Amino acid sequence: MFPGIGVEGQRRLMQSHVTLCGCGALGTVLASSLARAGVGHLRVIDRDFLEMHNLQRQVLFDENDVNEALPKAEAAARKLEAVNSSIHVEPVVTDIDHTNILDLTRDADLILDGTDNFETRYLINDVAVKTGKPWVYGGCIGSHGQVMTIIPGETPCLRCVIESSPPPGMAPTCETAGILGPTVNIIASLQAAEALKILTGQFDAINRNLIMIDIWDGTFKNLKISGLRDKVDCPTCKRRDFEWLDGKLGSHTTSLCGRNSVQIAHRTAGRLSFESLERQLASLGAVTYNRFMLKFAVEGYEFTVFPDGRAIIKGTNDINKAKTLYAQYIGH
Amino acid sequence: MPVKVMIPTPLRQYTGGKDSVESSGATVSEVLQNLGKQYAGITERMLDAGKIRRFVNVYVNDEDIRYLNNLDTPVKDGDEVSIIPAVAGG
Repeated sequence: MFPGIGVEGQRRLMQSHVTLCGCGALGTVLASSLARAGVGHLRVIDRDFLEMHNLQRQVLFDENDVNEALPKAEAAARKLEAVNSSIHVEPVVTDIDHTNILDLTRDADLILDGTDNFETRYLINDVAVKTGKPWVYGGCIGSHGQVMTIIPGETPCLRCVIESSPPPGMAPTCETAGILGPTVNIIASLQAAEALKILTGQFDAINRNLIMIDIWDGTFKNLKISGLRDKVDCPTCKRRDFEWLDGKLGSHTTSLCGRNSVQIAHRTAGRLSFESLERQLASLGAVTYNRFMLKFAVEGYEFTVFPDGRAIIKGTNDINKAKTLYAQYIGH
Repeated sequence: MPVKVMIPTPLRQYTGGKDSVESSGATVSEVLQNLGKQYAGITERMLDAGKIRRFVNVYVNDEDIRYLNNLDTPVKDGDEVSIIPAVAGG
C-alpha cells in the first residue's frame, strides 16, 4: 500500500463523498481513478449523451454505449459499478446551473471539475467558496493543460487567477484546436492525485500552484499563485459576491465545445411527453426516442431533447439560431 | 535586454508556430510591445486598452505579474516571460 494513503487514508476514501461535475474527457478519467481508489460515494453529473467521436478520449465508454445512445452519466455509472461494486455511484443526468448546484454538492467533501466551459466552473467556484468546500480545476486543449486546486480560505479561488472567461472568438475550442487524448489523461490524473490528498486530509501535500503543461513541447511548470489572494480584490472570495450562484451571471444557453452544437436549457414546469412530441414532429422528419432522450432531424439540424425540456441542437454554433429552431419545433 | 517569451498554443498562429521567441525591454510592458512589433496581432490578443486582458495571465519566471508590479514589472537579462491563457476545454 502506498504509504501516503495508508490504512487510515483508505478508510477515509471509503467514507468520502465526491461530486464530479461533467463526465466527458476529464470526467471519465477522474471517475475511473476515484472509483478504483475506493472513494465510497461518487455523484457523477453530466448533461450530455454519447456519440461515436467521444470515444477518442472519453475512456470509460465504448461503441456499445454509443449504440445504446446512453447519457454519459448513466453509461459511466454502469462501468464504475462493474469496476468497484463496493462503492456507491449516483448518476445524475442534468445541466448544472445556479438552481441545482447547491443540492448537487450539499453532501460533497470535494467537488471535481470535469466540465468543458467556464460558466459551469465559475458556478462551481461560487458554490465551493460559499460553502467552504475544496475543488480542483482542470482544463485542456490540444497538447496544453492546466490544473489548480482551490481550498477556500487558504488558496486563491478560480476568479482570483482567471478574472473572466474568454469572450467568443477570443480562444480556440476543442473544435478549432483539437484535443490530444494523452493531454486529457495527464491533466485529469493530476486532478485525481490532488483529490486523493484532499480526501485523505493531507493538506500539506497539496500542490498550491497553477500547474501548466504542454505535452508536445515537454513543458511542465508550477506557477506561483498563492500571493494573489492578498493582491486581488476578488469579487468571489474577498467580497463574497456570488454572481453565478445568485443567477446574476451565466445563461441557460451554451455553445458546446467542439460539437457545432448549442444547448438550450428550457425549464418546463413538468416533464416533457416524448409521445406527444413525437406526434408533433413526425411529419417533419425522422423521430426516435428512448426513455432518456428524443432525437429528430430537420433542415440539416439534429435535435436531441431531454425529458426536462433541455435540447441540444446540432448543426449550428449560433445561439440565436438555436433559440429560433427551439421555438419553431419544440415550442415553449 | 533580451528576454525569452513563452508563447501558449492559442497564440502560436502569430509566431509562425514557435513556442518561445526572443523579445526585449526593461519592463513587461516594453517586452510585450516589442513582441507586437515582431509579430503583428499578438499584442491585441493579450492587451486591451493598455491592460492585460482579464482571461490572460502573465508570469515573469514563475510569478504572476499582478503581485509583482503588473505591466511595470522589471525584467532582466535571462528572465522568462510566460503568457498563460485561460483554458476551457475538457
